[in-house]
Amino acid sequence: MAGMVQEENSSSITSPPVHFFHMMSLSPGLGSPYPWLRELKSEERGLYLIRLLLACANHVAACSVENANIGLEHISHLASPDGDAMQRIAAYFTEALAYRMLKGWPGLYRALNSTKISSSSDRIIAQRSFFELCPFLKLSYVITNQAIMEAMEGEKVVHIIDLYSFEPAQWINLMQLLSARPEGPPHLIITGIHEQKEVLDQMASRLTEEAENLDIPFQFNPIVSKLENLNVGSLRVRMGEALAISSVLQLHSLLAADDDMLRRNSPSSSRNSNSTPLSRILPVNPRTLGEFLKKDFAILPSPSSDSASPSSPFSLTQSPRMGSFLNALWGLSPKLMVVTEQESDHNASSLMDRVVEALKFYAALFDCLESTITQAYTERQKIEKMLFGEEIKNIIACEGPERKERHEKLEKWILRLELAGFGRVPLSYNGMLQAKRLLSYGYDGYNIKDENGCLYICWQDCPLFSVSAWRFRRYE
Amino acid sequence: MAAPSSSSKLLFGGTSSREEDQNSKMQHSTTSSVSNTNTAPQKKKRNLPGTPSKIDLNPDAEVIALSPKTLMATNRFICEVCNKGFQREQNLQLHRRGHNLPWKLKQKTTKEVKRKVYLCPEPTCVHHDPSRALGDLTGIKKHYSRKHGEKKWKCEKCSKRYAVQSDWKAHSKTCGTREYRCDCGTLFSRRDSFITHRAFCDALAQESARHPTNLNTMASHLFGGNHLGLTGSQVTTQISNLQQDHHPSTNILRLGSAAGGAKFEHLLPPSNPSNSFGQTVPPLPPALFIQDTNQGFQEQSHHGLLPNKALHGLMQLSDLQANPSNSSASANLFNLGFFSSSSNTNSMADSDTANNNAAANLSSSAFLVTDQFNSGNGGGGSQTGTTLFPDHMGTGISSLYGPTPQQSLSPHMSATALLQKAAQMGSTTSGNSTSLLRGLGSSSSTANKSDRVQFISGGFGGVVGGGENMRTSQLDHDNHLQGLMNSLANGGSSVMFGGGQDQDMNGFNGFGENNNNNNNNNNPSLMSNMDDQAKLHRNMSIGGSDKLTLDFLGVGVRSGLTQEHQHGIEIGNLDSEIKLAHSGSRAFGGGGKLQ
Repeated sequence: MAGMVQEENSSSITSPPVHFFHMMSLSPGLGSPYPWLRELKSEERGLYLIRLLLACANHVAACSVENANIGLEHISHLASPDGDAMQRIAAYFTEALAYRMLKGWPGLYRALNSTKISSSSDRIIAQRSFFELCPFLKLSYVITNQAIMEAMEGEKVVHIIDLYSFEPAQWINLMQLLSARPEGPPHLIITGIHEQKEVLDQMASRLTEEAENLDIPFQFNPIVSKLENLNVGSLRVRMGEALAISSVLQLHSLLAADDDMLRRNSPSSSRNSNSTPLSRILPVNPRTLGEFLKKDFAILPSPSSDSASPSSPFSLTQSPRMGSFLNALWGLSPKLMVVTEQESDHNASSLMDRVVEALKFYAALFDCLESTITQAYTERQKIEKMLFGEEIKNIIACEGPERKERHEKLEKWILRLELAGFGRVPLSYNGMLQAKRLLSYGYDGYNIKDENGCLYICWQDCPLFSVSAWRFRRYE
Repeated sequence: MAAPSSSSKLLFGGTSSREEDQNSKMQHSTTSSVSNTNTAPQKKKRNLPGTPSKIDLNPDAEVIALSPKTLMATNRFICEVCNKGFQREQNLQLHRRGHNLPWKLKQKTTKEVKRKVYLCPEPTCVHHDPSRALGDLTGIKKHYSRKHGEKKWKCEKCSKRYAVQSDWKAHSKTCGTREYRCDCGTLFSRRDSFITHRAFCDALAQESARHPTNLNTMASHLFGGNHLGLTGSQVTTQISNLQQDHHPSTNILRLGSAAGGAKFEHLLPPSNPSNSFGQTVPPLPPALFIQDTNQGFQEQSHHGLLPNKALHGLMQLSDLQANPSNSSASANLFNLGFFSSSSNTNSMADSDTANNNAAANLSSSAFLVTDQFNSGNGGGGSQTGTTLFPDHMGTGISSLYGPTPQQSLSPHMSATALLQKAAQMGSTTSGNSTSLLRGLGSSSSTANKSDRVQFISGGFGGVVGGGENMRTSQLDHDNHLQGLMNSLANGGSSVMFGGGQDQDMNGFNGFGENNNNNNNNNNPSLMSNMDDQAKLHRNMSIGGSDKLTLDFLGVGVRSGLTQEHQHGIEIGNLDSEIKLAHSGSRAFGGGGKLQ
């Protein structure tokens, strides 16, 4: 061992790695990084960042502020919002972790955010960029529209409810498709839901203009509301309208309200979000659907391999808000509902689970962003910061009703939607073909996978988004 | 428009960054000229909007790199009458003419002036590369503002923003007056909506031209209800595309897969995108990886027939692995406990006086040979293997692990691949990353995990035994044992890092204490061997409890019994784990045979 000690003292670029983790963990307040730290190659740095992030998240989960602080400091030497993918991810994760710790001091937290301008317009700009530069939303729209076209064949009045109405392109595309129908275009009504009036106004003018150009009878109903406050009963759907509902990355936010209600109903299981024992106690007192489902799926030998087997549908009753929302939608008797969701599990009660799942998911997203957006550097950064960074922050730093980004995998959505009375509509081969055509237009590395009539939009082989189609189904 | 010569790119690829540095001080620094060699004309690319169309490729041009500041410096030549500034003196002279001031244009020098080309100062930009330098200063300025600058000018009518004032002016003149017509016949009054529209329309229109529509409709009729059959082939083609793309993230497969294969793939030829595998790929990693391992087995058994050559391959592998890093030591830092044979041995070798590099290689190969023999028993082979892996093997592996061996050596690894790798490493070093592993987990990592469990049951004695084993293999070197301990100790410390995680909470109190102790200890080098051992034990038991409770989830469970058998003999070297994982499941009592 003597030799080693010597070597470590002469710590240099060549020698320390073996003891690296020792040092990092043993020396709190280590001021400046060792010189070789900066020499790390992308891969080494990336691996190291992952370790540090997980370690740090562990400390945060254990409310060990001191240690977490040390970890964050170390990461700060390596992470960067301008670096390679892992460096950028690390930057956003550390921010999120720091926010989480900060929330332990509400005063500090509020003070630091007291002058923050909530820039929803920035977010919308980022969303637009995401739409324009990445194929995900386009794919979702293309697939949705194809499904609508097929479901609405021969219909004379088509009503579409857009649960998050911010991008006219989807509906312009649909209008074009409809106007080319052999039987002629239908009367088209679009009910757009968005929390900002301006966005809806823009939608309305763009869509109206387009409908005029195409000579389609058209009507736009703007509903200024957050999805969670939406009164589905207030949606005016008249007899004879063939209804289609489009939800793109929206439904998961309703799970937050669930959490909230359950918490209020059972104060005993109150704030204890990050301690892991909870998940073990849970079978007795499941707090959220997500947890319960997680529990369920953990029992299955291979999670998600047979998603079609609803192991315990009764657990879905634990989801009053989501349940009632879906029931209300069901009550509108939609001919079609197309749901796009993030294909990832960010709704676990344990912080570590969420961190790990989020790491996986956003690693793939950042990778694909990096490879797809090679020119518009600032746009990419905006997307990363305003969209993904905010999502990561929400997943990690928030709890309870604040935590909106409760992405869940399709297998859970299938259970949930089936329980609400929806029947699955297989997405057609044609839809997939359209999607693939879109991808062939210069999007490398993306992939569409069909599984039991649902489509997964993948980056390389990693499914990132799921698209599934549903219809009103009477109980028989 | 000519094309960049590849040779000039080569020439300048290295120097451009240096130029950049110099230029932050110097205003203009001229550097050597682009050499004129085969300027093979390339296919003309469509210019993206906003991209300067002039890309100067005059082979004799002078390459000029300007700092952003210099580039954006407004107009150093000022007209004394109207204070208008000009970037070039010539322009000022021309301007002075309008004021009826005396003016004088520089005469053309007798010597022919060298053409100048300019680099974009943004390092991430394609025009940062000398081979894609732009032909005029205004062009590069505009390019820089458009692409990397702030868009200061906003059109009041349509809210579109511009970075270059002249763009904005030009737009303002036509905004609202001009219509954009898409090929599909749709008219747009605003450019942005036009572009948005084209995102859909272009793609679909173009593609339908290629695929006759009646085929589509036919397909939709035929397969509308029952599309599963076709889906498979679609997935396959997609995968083959993907593989040809040589994208780093195809590492997903490779890194998360059976460890044995993952090692070998470094040596594989890049071009084997066979994807018989694709058709059966379920979207979910676990099932996929089980298949991987099976492949890995076959592959190993092939090698078993020719142990010597396989050994050669392995030694080469260790070289390759050292490549991507500055020093093999730092590379191996992250290979701690990673079940690669070569890398671990290397780290041991490097951690001491490094005089036994060969020995290290030998040791790993020795173990490999052991394994080969063992595998040979089961393999009973019809296949003949050659040193650098025959084609059929290569094909099998590459289809499993993705086509990009070079990528794995490239400096930028995708974040996904990194996570996979981290998960793999974590599986051997600690319980820390188990949750990572759960999702990404491959059967081989499970195998490794059960390995660990056995290791615990064997206790530290197993390690000692291993050391002895090495001695019998004529690889007696204290440093081996020491290095082994180091890496094990490091495994411990990484647990400590990841500690406190939910999976670790099986009433394992000692763990937390351990953690604290370590944090208080400021001098890691003073940590005694005993400490390391203690930690090792903790590490192992954490890992153990972990696995027992959680980690067989969804992945092929391997029989631990056979591995236990192996461990008594081979555990002395961490790197043998990879083989243990395989050989163990094949249930031959391999270690005994070696002795």
